[in-house]
Amino acid sequence: MRLTAAAYRLLLRAFPAEVRRDFGGDMAAMFARQVEEARRERRSVSRLWWRAATDAAVNGVGARLVSPKPAASYMRATGDGTTPAGSRMRWWVHAFLQDFRYAIRVLRRQPGVTFVAVLTLALGIGANSAIFSAVNAVLLRPLPYDDPDRLVTVWEKRPAEGVSDNVVSPADFLDWARMNRSFDAMAAMTNTTADLTGSGEPEKLSVGVVSPPFFDILRVRPMLGRTFRPEEGIVGKPRGVILGHQLWTARYGSDPAVIGRTMTLNGNPIEVIGVLPASFEFPDEEIDLWGVLQLEGSPQPLSRSSHQFDVYARLKPNVSLEQARGDMERIGQALQQQYPESNRGHGAWVIPLEDRLKGPVRSSLLLLLGAVAFVLLIACVNVANILLAKAAGRRREMAVRSAVGAGRARLAGQMLTESLVLAILGGAASLVVAWWGTAALRQLAPRGEPILGLAHLGLEPRVLAFTAILSLATGVLFGFLPAWHLASQDVSASLKDGGRSPGGVRRRLRVALVVSEIALASLLLVAAGLTLRSFQRVLEQPAGFHVDRTVAVTITLPPARYRSDDAYLSTFEQLEERLRALPGVRAAGATSFLPLSGRDGRRGVGIEGREPTPDTPTRAHPRSVTPGYFQAMGIALLSGRGFTPADAATSPRVAIVNDTMARRYWPGTSPVGRRLKLSDSDWIEVVGVIADVKHWGLDAPVNPEMYFPVRQSLSGTMAFVVSTGGDASPLAPAIRDQIRAVDPNLPVANLRTIEAIASGSVASRRAGMLLIAVFGALALVLAAAGIHGVMSHLVALRAGEIGVRMTLGASPPSVMALVLREGTLQALGGQAIGLTGGVLLMRAFRTVLFGVQPADALTLASVAAVLLVTAIAACAIPARRAMKVDPVTALRSS
Amino acid sequence: MAPPLKPLVFQILLALVEGERHGWALVRDVQHRGGFDEIMPGNFYRTLRGMLADGLIEEAPPRDKAKAGEADERRRYFRLTAAGTAAAAGEARRLEALVLDARAKRLLTKRS
Repeated sequence: MRLTAAAYRLLLRAFPAEVRRDFGGDMAAMFARQVEEARRERRSVSRLWWRAATDAAVNGVGARLVSPKPAASYMRATGDGTTPAGSRMRWWVHAFLQDFRYAIRVLRRQPGVTFVAVLTLALGIGANSAIFSAVNAVLLRPLPYDDPDRLVTVWEKRPAEGVSDNVVSPADFLDWARMNRSFDAMAAMTNTTADLTGSGEPEKLSVGVVSPPFFDILRVRPMLGRTFRPEEGIVGKPRGVILGHQLWTARYGSDPAVIGRTMTLNGNPIEVIGVLPASFEFPDEEIDLWGVLQLEGSPQPLSRSSHQFDVYARLKPNVSLEQARGDMERIGQALQQQYPESNRGHGAWVIPLEDRLKGPVRSSLLLLLGAVAFVLLIACVNVANILLAKAAGRRREMAVRSAVGAGRARLAGQMLTESLVLAILGGAASLVVAWWGTAALRQLAPRGEPILGLAHLGLEPRVLAFTAILSLATGVLFGFLPAWHLASQDVSASLKDGGRSPGGVRRRLRVALVVSEIALASLLLVAAGLTLRSFQRVLEQPAGFHVDRTVAVTITLPPARYRSDDAYLSTFEQLEERLRALPGVRAAGATSFLPLSGRDGRRGVGIEGREPTPDTPTRAHPRSVTPGYFQAMGIALLSGRGFTPADAATSPRVAIVNDTMARRYWPGTSPVGRRLKLSDSDWIEVVGVIADVKHWGLDAPVNPEMYFPVRQSLSGTMAFVVSTGGDASPLAPAIRDQIRAVDPNLPVANLRTIEAIASGSVASRRAGMLLIAVFGALALVLAAAGIHGVMSHLVALRAGEIGVRMTLGASPPSVMALVLREGTLQALGGQAIGLTGGVLLMRAFRTVLFGVQPADALTLASVAAVLLVTAIAACAIPARRAMKVDPVTALRSS
Repeated sequence: MAPPLKPLVFQILLALVEGERHGWALVRDVQHRGGFDEIMPGNFYRTLRGMLADGLIEEAPPRDKAKAGEADERRRYFRLTAAGTAAAAGEARRLEALVLDARAKRLLTKRS
């Protein structure tokens, strides 16, 4: 009971001190008894607590707002006359409508102030709605699959290497699928491309190759036809393809009779068995076409060392994620024992599909949402300032209203209504900003790496609701201060002094607002500055190749028409020759994996004289290149030699490694002349070392890479690189012509400048950087406007004081210095808070930074400098005005 | 005519007609008379505070413990003022007039 009373005293904090003093003990005792009674009668005590909390909130705040005055009315208990309009509810509605109409009149009386306030709010709220629409589309929207919580991705994990998201080898996948007890089904997927020929222009299609249960796992039903059947996953069975909705409409004119028709892919006829619905979305790539992966019943043993599959699965109804992880752990152990050579240290790692798809963008989006929330806070502070300034000018009006009978609650309500009306206007105007913002976001969204759900970016109902709630909350937030302030001031004093005295509390409050505004702005600018520096750092990263004046185009020769290695080679070499002969071309070459293209492979490799251990496996990323490739890409040869046409199929096998591989596997010595070995080859001599090339992005680490001459290591897909003396883009038509001349049935896709590819690889970082920079700039402008407004107002209020100072001999410059010093001090105070906060905030978001520490001195110093200059500039106009105060006028009017 | 009293105010006045009471006793009286769900302390004491300020009730001088038979000496007692009595009577009359009207319109049938 004592405990109850003690806990209840916490709730009593809601009441003004005098109520606590007079009745606190009695109230606590009463509540303790009520709890006791409730226990005795077996009623819910928690419900009672809840009621007590609301009771304390309502009556506590009520008691603060309306202090009881002796009301003469009760004394005149008899007599007739009219009662106040109807019920209390009606009275309130009436009062609100009256306040509302009055608020509109007041706002219309000062159109300039109203316009600035509404504009400020529209920017703040609109920016928030736009970012929220992205958060809504990407993070809040459930995955577009049935029962998405049960969907998982299974990766290969290698704890010793710190890898937990590796793709899976075919043999491991089949074993996982067979041995697990946790999943309804498991499907592997890999991406490839295929050339569609036959009807119309040849076209390069993006193909998802999946094992049969894939669509059952996602629970996607075809719009037409069917999806894959289990027996289609067996090697040698006839394969069909399923069309994506986009391809079906674009290429087949939405013809429902397409089912059963044959299309020519890579020169092979293949039957269309289904069409996916338009609603089907898949994040990894915009896949045109789905083919079936045939792994089961393979005559040769499948590879455990070639890792290539994404694995998707659906948890069985009663299996938890933890159980599935345990299950896969068991399987991983078993496979390690069974296949120590290939699977030492390998396991399986289960993560929810949602985490995989949304994880990468989550921190960037949340950072943006945080940044934009700060912008809104600054906007709120600004508008609160405007309202406070207005309230100051209206103290007399309020005093008069009070004198003729308006209670404090009514006056505060009036102020709050005005701010709500402003907020509603701001919210309405913000829709324009939000609409424009979402359109801009859509433009900014990185093309290369589609983010699931981004297509749904827009002013959806949930976003509109968010905007509405945000507007109202904003109105209460910035309206609360002036209203509270009004409720707590001595109205009659205002009436006496004509509503001019500045008042210590008011001044402190406004200074606090300015300081907090600067703090918020500097916090945001720290975030923006660090993001900007990260981006700069990323761009400064040496790519290892010439980014400008180079174009690339990818060609895949269909095995159906190119039946021998010679056919491939002669076509590739003929094409390379033709490209090199084009006017303006300096060099041409080709590679199987173009840097920054998002394509890659990896193989285990034996290094002569070095035993691989589970902790230090030797692996490298293989590339097949033509002799001209390094020159065409501008990749530097560090030692040894490059490839020559003499490195042919019949001559001894040779390889070139990158710098990282040389350092890692031949530390301290030169690899030139040493040997390496692939699982299916004899020893291969290393003849050269080339400089590191950024393959996975300018901000990604470089892996060991080994290059083989294309004549000794054929690839069906080659990316041709053509470098020129000047602008490379006009070369595109000529390149197209040459490809057609070699084979008219080859589709020409991905003909792009290397510059475009490189810029695409930093697109998402650039988008984030741009957004946060825009928010930073917005914050700076708003903060400057805020500081200017407050300082102007303070100068106006202090005109009398300044007049006295000047009469007593203060020079105009010293008066100006006084105002500037005050502004500078406030700016410094705010900065100290904001910079610290910014560093702490960015520590939490360290993952979005690159090559820069949260406490980067240059960033912090620049932010501090920019803000200080802004603050001083914002104070300059009021300071000049202070200087020009005419002591006589000032003294007379005060 | 004065505005109608809030029901809780009227009930408290009614309870005090019988003599001075302390807070908890008032709460129990009012609840026994019915018409109220559970009265919460914040609402109750805020109402009391308003009634004190309006001069409807006043604090009674502290009694000695033995007479009250209660352990808590901080307990405060309240009693009606003349204005409170008048207000309660006025409210009663107002309600009576309403009841008579209701009866005249045959909304109520005489029970006793």
